[in-house]
Amino acid sequence: MLRYITYRSLVAVFLVWIVVTLVFLLLHLVPGDPAEVLLSQGSTAADPQAVANLRQRLGLDDPLWLQYAHHIGGILTGDLGTSFRDGAPVAGQIVQRLPRTLEVIVTAALIAVLFGVPAGTLAAVRAGGWIDNVISFLSSLALSTPVFVVGSVVILIFAQELRLVPAGGYVPFAVDPARHVLLLLMPAGTVALALWAVVARMSRGSVLDVLERDYVRTARAKGLKRRRILRRHVVRNAMIPVLTVLGLEMGTLIGGTVLVEFVFNWPGLSGYLVSAVDARDYPEVVGIVMVISILFVFLNLVVDIVYAVLDPRISLSR
Amino acid sequence: MTGTPLVEADRLSCNFPMRTGLFGRHRDVWAVRDVSLAVEKGETVGVVGESGCGKSTLGRMVLGLESPSAGAIRFEGRDLSTVAGAERRKLARRMQMVFQDPFGSLDPRRSVGAQIADGLRVHNIVPASEIRAEVARLIDVVGLQKNAAARRPHEFSGGQRQRIAVARALATRPDFIVADEPVSALDVSIQAQVVNLLADLRRDLGLTMLFIAHDLHVVRHLSTRAVVMYLGRIVEEGPSDKVFGSPAHPYTRALLAATPSISSARKADEEGVLSGELPSPANPPSGCAFRTRCPLASDECAAAVPDLAPYEPGWKVRCIKAGPSHRTGDPT
Amino acid sequence: MRKLILPVSILAVILALVVLAPVLPLADERAMDIPHRFAGPSMAHWLGQDEFGRDVLTRLIYGARASLSIAIGSALAAALIGTALGLLGGYFRGIVEIFTVRAAEIVLCLPPLLLALLVVTIFGAGFWPLILALTLLYTPNYARVVYAATLQVRALDFVTAQRALGTHPLQIVVRTMLPNVLPPLVVQISLVIASAIVIESGLSFLGLGVVPPTPSWGLMIRAARGAMEQAPLLLLWPSVALAGTILTFNLLCDRLQSVLDPRAVPAGGAIWLRRRRTAPPAPRTAPDEDARNDAPADLLSIAGLTIALDRPGGIGSGMELVRGVGFAVRTGETLALVGESGSGKTLTSLAVTGLLPDVLGVTGGTATYRRRDGAVVDLLAQDEDGHRRLRGDEISMVFQDASAALNPVHRIGDQLTEVILAHRAIGRAAAKREAVELLGRVGIPDAERRARAYPHELSGGQRQRAMIAIAVANQPKLLLADEPTTALDPTIQAQILALIAGLKRDNPEMGVVFVTHNLAVVAEIADRVCVMYAGEVVEEGPVATVFARPRHPYTAALIGSVPEGDAERLVAIPGTVPAPGHMPPGCSFAPRCDHAVAACREAPPPEFSPEPGRRTRCLRFEEVT
Repeated sequence: MLRYITYRSLVAVFLVWIVVTLVFLLLHLVPGDPAEVLLSQGSTAADPQAVANLRQRLGLDDPLWLQYAHHIGGILTGDLGTSFRDGAPVAGQIVQRLPRTLEVIVTAALIAVLFGVPAGTLAAVRAGGWIDNVISFLSSLALSTPVFVVGSVVILIFAQELRLVPAGGYVPFAVDPARHVLLLLMPAGTVALALWAVVARMSRGSVLDVLERDYVRTARAKGLKRRRILRRHVVRNAMIPVLTVLGLEMGTLIGGTVLVEFVFNWPGLSGYLVSAVDARDYPEVVGIVMVISILFVFLNLVVDIVYAVLDPRISLSR
Repeated sequence: MTGTPLVEADRLSCNFPMRTGLFGRHRDVWAVRDVSLAVEKGETVGVVGESGCGKSTLGRMVLGLESPSAGAIRFEGRDLSTVAGAERRKLARRMQMVFQDPFGSLDPRRSVGAQIADGLRVHNIVPASEIRAEVARLIDVVGLQKNAAARRPHEFSGGQRQRIAVARALATRPDFIVADEPVSALDVSIQAQVVNLLADLRRDLGLTMLFIAHDLHVVRHLSTRAVVMYLGRIVEEGPSDKVFGSPAHPYTRALLAATPSISSARKADEEGVLSGELPSPANPPSGCAFRTRCPLASDECAAAVPDLAPYEPGWKVRCIKAGPSHRTGDPT
Repeated sequence: MRKLILPVSILAVILALVVLAPVLPLADERAMDIPHRFAGPSMAHWLGQDEFGRDVLTRLIYGARASLSIAIGSALAAALIGTALGLLGGYFRGIVEIFTVRAAEIVLCLPPLLLALLVVTIFGAGFWPLILALTLLYTPNYARVVYAATLQVRALDFVTAQRALGTHPLQIVVRTMLPNVLPPLVVQISLVIASAIVIESGLSFLGLGVVPPTPSWGLMIRAARGAMEQAPLLLLWPSVALAGTILTFNLLCDRLQSVLDPRAVPAGGAIWLRRRRTAPPAPRTAPDEDARNDAPADLLSIAGLTIALDRPGGIGSGMELVRGVGFAVRTGETLALVGESGSGKTLTSLAVTGLLPDVLGVTGGTATYRRRDGAVVDLLAQDEDGHRRLRGDEISMVFQDASAALNPVHRIGDQLTEVILAHRAIGRAAAKREAVELLGRVGIPDAERRARAYPHELSGGQRQRAMIAIAVANQPKLLLADEPTTALDPTIQAQILALIAGLKRDNPEMGVVFVTHNLAVVAEIADRVCVMYAGEVVEEGPVATVFARPRHPYTAALIGSVPEGDAERLVAIPGTVPAPGHMPPGCSFAPRCDHAVAACREAPPPEFSPEPGRRTRCLRFEEVT
């Protein structure tokens, strides 16, 4: 087990390196001068002097390997450069905003799993019945409605029409815990909806699949009670593929937070990214993309480890 | 030995590197180790052994479907590793294979006729205008109905599919066929149909065959010479009648004793049953691989791997205590 | 195929609208009409006008144009590249794999929306950057799916057969591999289109996708959010259009999946899980009084057991797979149930324990069983709870494939303790001790340590021993073993057979029903044999006499087909077993029988008793041997 975790962690480190390199290459190997591309707005050509200045600031005149060394070195020392817009260090902004984004991601994942697994299991056990149909309909709907549509409609109905909740925003937990949670639940619940649908559908399919397995028949042949069979031999085993899907959906979940933070004015990392891309603030974009991708790799590592806990066959075969 | 054998395996080995631990102490898992075997024209050599003994890997290597990590395969004296590309594919015409799984061995999406015709087309066996007639002839040879060519594999039962697979193998008019457990997946009565078919073809077409199976009775019935494998090595090789009639290697004896027989009055009993299980090929015992389960094993057996030594003319045994059984385990 | 009609026709309508938009009588999608901004639906503007007074319906249709051409364009481009990479990587493996599939997978290290944002940062917003971003994004998806499918297909023997034929590798890839990886590919395309629409609209919503004034659904929602107070309907239309389109593609994907790969969608549910309060056993044919009184000392006596497909309204419902099966097992006796696949031997043993698959049901017969407390019950009339109390306690089963029959995620010891605790009121610790003892008894070395192992850590033979330990944990009166040695090698098979014989010596009261297709195993382990063919018992009697002189031509042929002895040719039974539902009117074996006469084909033969203790279902039993 420990060996497996070490192995997965090393893989994660390798992946982080890939991400860092990939971002570097994307920026430096695209055709054209990035400085020129950055400064040109539409068809107006950029001022040559400004381009030269920017090239110097970005270190684009250095040989490629030196730039790469700077890039890696910066990341290792936590120096992600300074923003074009306000000259503030990018790392500082990220440190401040990262916990808020994590909060949304973790809450959303918890909501999705806590409601998705029971819903899917129930649908599977009652396959073909009305409960199954209702859950299947709801999950199709949830799966097909993009998060920003859900978010906008939530605001329209609950904030605009019913005036039950504010239309978004952020209050630190220390200032007003209740309001913080309320404001957190709106973006988190919105992102969770699609993930809930994925988890519910996967749980349903997986439980149905496990019900056909020989070992469930063995459990029945042992004369075990229904509840015990369902809990120990069906749901327990069915969770393994569900977890795989959860890992695969992490990327979508992270993408979703970009949109909901924007919709609900949640001052997290993802919303910050949108304004950075909009302003084409290179150092900011690179810094945020890198941090979120590392987060992505890390979340997948967590999934891998839980996976090994659930499935004893994994840690041996790697 | 009469001149060059049709197919000859020379000190053939096949290993899979397996990593143990994080940074890999590499350890070789030998699927087949140091197997030399000559198949004369017209012979049927049966290969038996339990799962994991390397018999299937041997069969695939002989056909060049898997590459050996050491050793050579010679077809009519030509080393296969020296032929490549188009010429190698041309040589494939003369060696064909029949597989175990009658469901996996046929493409579910193409008609039976098209699959039999593949070999005819690839090697230009007959002119394009005669392909239909040739397919019909092959279908008739293996005893299927004429309309079979237009149908898809799923419309046939396991036994019929195995006949189709035989027809496909025969299409290129091969000299040599490797049959890898061709009847293991079939029901008893159907198994008899296919065994009879193979026996007929061998007689009528003069085919040379490498017949791989775990069922001793089937191998004994079909083959002229028998090869017994254990943990990647040949432990006994000789004329079928002799190997199964009075086995000289204790493993062959144990295998015979373990195989239930319809005509024996023996009842299942914990006595006389070979104890223990196959050792892991990743960590084989020193010396003779069978010594951990062998009733005759003594200290000398652990010292070195015994040679596959001549026991009688045309009969070789890999055991320092080779000889007729002390307590006969032979059912017949 | 009928399932596809709904999503395909909706998509056809959407695509037609999009393609025909320029020739339809629509308003100009960019014509502003500031005085009528936020006007509600009217005859001229069915869905109203937006914040610049532009016609919403027109913009909705033109928005679909942008969304769909970006989504479909990039989905197809990615499909083309990804499939090529996946096929080549999967078929050739090795270095090719690294440069195709693994290289493409690097992209997956970034969350999808982030990668798109990066591309937009570099190239700016717009139509082509979006296509590029999405193609880049989805290529590895296809490469993975096709790669996985390729690996699966590649391992199949028909691909190996092509290689053995000497076919050119590229021809194998195109002609043999491609058609076989097509189904998952088609499903993936519809999935990717839906997902690409989501990403495209998301980017446009953020103002980083399609550039105004080109209409796009994402942009429309973005604009409508600002005007939520004045015109909430403006938010509704594009939202509905967007969700509806994605829903249709998802529906298409689901339906395609179920059409292309019917196995991927499990039949559904487990009836046994549902507690049916009012579950009167289905009306059955009255128990045969004679059969009941025939052998009062029998442990289990089955009469007239009939099993049929039981899917209300389903294909082939009512088709009988097992017909009128009857036999008896006495205390301490081993009865072998022998037959080929499709003979109904396994179904019979499952029916006794109430473990038949949901699609099958018992439609007739009785199985009289004498319980430990002396009470006589009909096993076929029990509901799930009635069966549950007996299963694992008095009646237990050993299945063929122990690696599938043991739960892979629980330790062997726990799986064994579980069955002890389910039926006996002893403490956990005591049950654990007993479990270890049992493992030792069934011949697992180092039982203490092995109890903590997971099934995959044991060898095949040890797994079957553990399975047997579970079955005999509560000293059952009746053990049903379904092909327990079929998957094992000869030396291990011999060990398991010896183990079962040994357990019977320990517990001489135990009756055993041993289901097998192997006549030689029957000879070795059974006292009596019951031969089944096409869902019926054709012959029954003591093993020695049946094998010495079979009284049914099927039994005789089976014995003759075993390649023992010196016969040059084996006895092969011509033809195949008739399919259920296509049984011949007379004796079910008549079409394949050498002895068949006209009478055999007219009516099913009755049962004869050639000598005491033997039965046969053949008119010509006197002449068989």
